[in-house]
Amino acid sequence: MSGAEDRRAPPPGRAAARRPVAPRLGRGLLLAAFSLLFVLYVAGPVAWLVSSSLQTEAQATAVPPNWLPPEPTLANFEAIFRAAERVVTYETRRQGDPATGGFLPTGAQNLLPSLRNSLVVGLWVAALNLLLSLTAAYAIAVIDFRGRRATLYTVLATRVIPDIALVVPLFLVIRALGLINSLAALVVTYLAVTVPFTIFILISYFEGIPRDLYRAARVDGCGHWGALRQVYLPLSLPALVAALTFAFLTSWNEFVFALVLTQNVEAQTLPIVISGFVMDFTTSFSFVNAAGVIAIVPPVLLAVLFQRYIVSGLTAGAVKG
Amino acid sequence: MPRLGYDERAAALLVFPVVAVLLVVAAFPILYSFWVSLHDVVLTRPLRRPFVGLDNYLRVFADERFWIAVARTTVYTVVTVAATTVLAVLVALLLNEAFPGQRLLNALLLLPWATPSVVNGLMWKWIYDPSYGLLNGLLVQLGVLERYRAWLGDPDLTLLLIANAAVWKQMPLAALLLIVTMKAIPEDLYRAAKVDGAGAFRRFLHVTLPALRPGLMLVLVYETMISIRHFDLFLIMTQGGPGDASFTLSWFIYVETFRSLRFGTGAALSYILAMATFLLSYLFIRFLGRRL
Repeated sequence: MSGAEDRRAPPPGRAAARRPVAPRLGRGLLLAAFSLLFVLYVAGPVAWLVSSSLQTEAQATAVPPNWLPPEPTLANFEAIFRAAERVVTYETRRQGDPATGGFLPTGAQNLLPSLRNSLVVGLWVAALNLLLSLTAAYAIAVIDFRGRRATLYTVLATRVIPDIALVVPLFLVIRALGLINSLAALVVTYLAVTVPFTIFILISYFEGIPRDLYRAARVDGCGHWGALRQVYLPLSLPALVAALTFAFLTSWNEFVFALVLTQNVEAQTLPIVISGFVMDFTTSFSFVNAAGVIAIVPPVLLAVLFQRYIVSGLTAGAVKG
Repeated sequence: MPRLGYDERAAALLVFPVVAVLLVVAAFPILYSFWVSLHDVVLTRPLRRPFVGLDNYLRVFADERFWIAVARTTVYTVVTVAATTVLAVLVALLLNEAFPGQRLLNALLLLPWATPSVVNGLMWKWIYDPSYGLLNGLLVQLGVLERYRAWLGDPDLTLLLIANAAVWKQMPLAALLLIVTMKAIPEDLYRAAKVDGAGAFRRFLHVTLPALRPGLMLVLVYETMISIRHFDLFLIMTQGGPGDASFTLSWFIYVETFRSLRFGTGAALSYILAMATFLLSYLFIRFLGRRL
């Protein structure tokens, strides 16, 4: 260390005049190079997904590949949104339509209903998750009651068990309740997934709110319900937005539970229908990719829109250590 | 003290809904699963489910598929966690710098995070496609590869290729956690190191890395717990194949339960996986927590 110190300590005047230019240029080039790599890695795959969804099947399966759509077409998206109007039989399937290479999958008309199911479940989960977590987080963070630690740890511990391990018994429970293949089963299940995490975020947020505000509210005659509504609710809007977004995204993206708990178009969500296409070898690539693009759009929009809240929400636990 | 009574009653009331939901959809299934794992439950024979003690567990341990699954899961988890962590450190170092466009890159970072895992799976499967995939196209156009090949069909590569898809999706969260930890490092430490004549690399080694310890801990534990239970990508991309090249524990649980309909052994497997996850994160915190 001390050797390096001696070598690297030039007379101050000379260093100030000469050093900044070269290292700064070097730094700029380095940052530019790494930024480029970063963008290629993060956005490249999705860009290709979008690009091939805008091509006809013949173009998307060309060798060498068409990196950009030669003549961008929305035919695949049109096929998704108009699938319900068509009768898919062996013959029409063989005839096909040129855009999707003649391979409109049999389940194509399930896409729109599943999109609706995903939306409905996502909104319910987002709303109920917030309602449940808010009260529980307030109680655990603010009220000093017996069993407070135990409650918190029990809630968090439920998330240690892998989803795939929960799937079997949950399937049996939901079946016993007669709720197999219903949106309600999905909503309740997803609440179990999102609530512990939301409570965790909200608690760390609530603990940052000055205790004096709470005392003042109580002195003014507020009960706990009043303190929650008039002090904690308005002050934790960012955390609430983050919680809403997370719950919706988790529900929108979830796959294993939906796979096991749903059976047909009544309750199947978008990931389930899409996974059916992926595993059907006759489905055209450009069509599947278009479906994938549709599934990506809502979560990405939400993520971009609420970027700041999401980042602070995601990292709330990390700061505390 | 009436005040205390009010507090406790209010708390009970406020916590009750959450506890009720978790009891039904988390706690009860977990306990029920244990009960099932001690019985011979086969769905094709719903009325007779005799108590068999630990037989399901013993049967699992005697099954050679179980040990194959353990090996596959280990390789997959180690590769995924290691690659995610290294990549996340690099990305965090990049995004922690101030430069024009840095905000845009930060927004871009959320793209993989927000992508549903099913779409992630279909996207990479399409990129790896043996006849039309972009990976083949790119490598052939660059002259690296002579002709197209079936990437996912190569047993030596399958796990690595699936891990790559997982890393792509998981890296952003890890990077975000590391960036937060980096932002908390006092600027003075870097200035002092500079005065001491430490170059960028040595500053990273002696200032950044030690200070990153809590963040790295969190990333390691979290990523391990997540990767060990991955299922979606395996169902979409390979279904355990080719042969048994991607036959992981979660895939084994799925096959045993929902294809063979042997719920008893499926539940036993689930418990083994859950215990392993639990033990691993405990060991991580216990030993790495101090040394890392």
